Amino acid sequence: MINTIAQIDFVASAGRSPWHRASALGKLVLAGAAVLLAVFVPGLKLALALYAIGWVVALTSRLPLRLLVAAAGYPLLFATLFAALRWDGDWGDALRLMLRPLTASLYLVWLVGTTPYPDLFAPLSRVLPRTVGDGLFLTYRALFELLARAQRMFRAFHLRAAAALPARRRLPIAGEGIGTLVLHGFERSQRMYSVMLLRGHSGRICGCRHYAEWSGADLWVVLAACAVAAAAVLLWRAG
Amino acid sequence: MTHLHIPDGVLPPLLWGPGLALALALLLLAVRASRGETPRTIAYQGALGGLMLAVMSIPIPLFALEYCLTLAGPVGVLLGPAAGFQVAFVVCVILALLGQGGITVVGLNALVLGVSVAVARPLYVRLAAGRSAAAALALATGGAQAVAGLVWFALLLLALRMSPGAVGAIPTARAGLFAGVTLALWLLAIAAESGVAFGIGRFLARVRPDLLPAAAGGGSPARLPRSLA
Repeated sequence: MINTIAQIDFVASAGRSPWHRASALGKLVLAGAAVLLAVFVPGLKLALALYAIGWVVALTSRLPLRLLVAAAGYPLLFATLFAALRWDGDWGDALRLMLRPLTASLYLVWLVGTTPYPDLFAPLSRVLPRTVGDGLFLTYRALFELLARAQRMFRAFHLRAAAALPARRRLPIAGEGIGTLVLHGFERSQRMYSVMLLRGHSGRICGCRHYAEWSGADLWVVLAACAVAAAAVLLWRAG
Repeated sequence: MTHLHIPDGVLPPLLWGPGLALALALLLLAVRASRGETPRTIAYQGALGGLMLAVMSIPIPLFALEYCLTLAGPVGVLLGPAAGFQVAFVVCVILALLGQGGITVVGLNALVLGVSVAVARPLYVRLAAGRSAAAALALATGGAQAVAGLVWFALLLLALRMSPGAVGAIPTARAGLFAGVTLALWLLAIAAESGVAFGIGRFLARVRPDLLPAAAGGGSPARLPRSLA
């Protein structure tokens, strides 16, 4: 998961496809509508059509294929488990049940893989309470630094043969290591606060305003939205 | 076990819809309860939220399995119920955007993770009297994990019952196998989280005891470390 998150974050900022140039708000609306359609899809044909459109959209965004498969295939395990629990001999029903999460995940991966996080969080933070909206930015910013530290720490444990210890000793040792990260997070928050003050923090992290800047690339989003809408209209009752 | 990891489209809307509404209502209550917090406090919440996400993504080998920690208990003890619930919500939103758990089940995920975070500090404050901080943190984390596991299990059973055509249709053997596996994972999660919480408590008690809240009857528990207040 670590590499997947880091890669998604990197390609979201470094990608050069038209999807990357399109506005975050348009992509957010398209992805939200596609996810809702995928969740409420009544028949297999529409589910397959949405999934196919999702792959076209995702592949044209030039996200690495391995990353797409890893991230968009994440729900497969749980969807299979749930389909097995509900198995009644109907393959169509099972396939539809599995396509729903896979389709939703594909559109979300496309969204986060083509949208830098400040653009993605900015519209969300406007509808969430102030502290929660600020929390989105601060948590995401803290994530990668702490992730790197946590990775180094667990690697050090492995090098020092911590894996050979019994679990009852290994877990508290891992806990003490995580305690250092708690302390680091605390000190980091103090520094972050000072930086926020220095930069003239006004009581709210607003994010950038690029998220609603429309450009020619948004025509692609409109085109994809038309394809999704057409599939929904034509195939909703098709079974 | 404090995170459903259930993707979109698997649970019935009659379950995730009210779950989302309830989570949003609790979020507003939590925000109101923690009104007046300084940006420094919000930065601290962000740091602990980032830590939760970071450790969630690193699997720890445990017996034959790999377990991903959530740190819900320790974070709940360090932040308290109101701030902790906000962190749980933010963590679930980010996880959902990264494809780990669905967008529509953000509310349910926040409820499961949030309940664990919210009960941790009240448990710790009661358990810390006459015990070491490490033991109290481990016990509070275990208790919080147990509560979250119960909510998790109840939600999953509800989901299976509310699925169209699934009422009573799951064969007993399959349901028994599912219950057995879930129970084993639940116990594993309680043991792993408590063990790690013990280490965190032992470290913080030695290095920065002021980060931990005071025990009941041992003076008023600090809402936040003095340096953050």
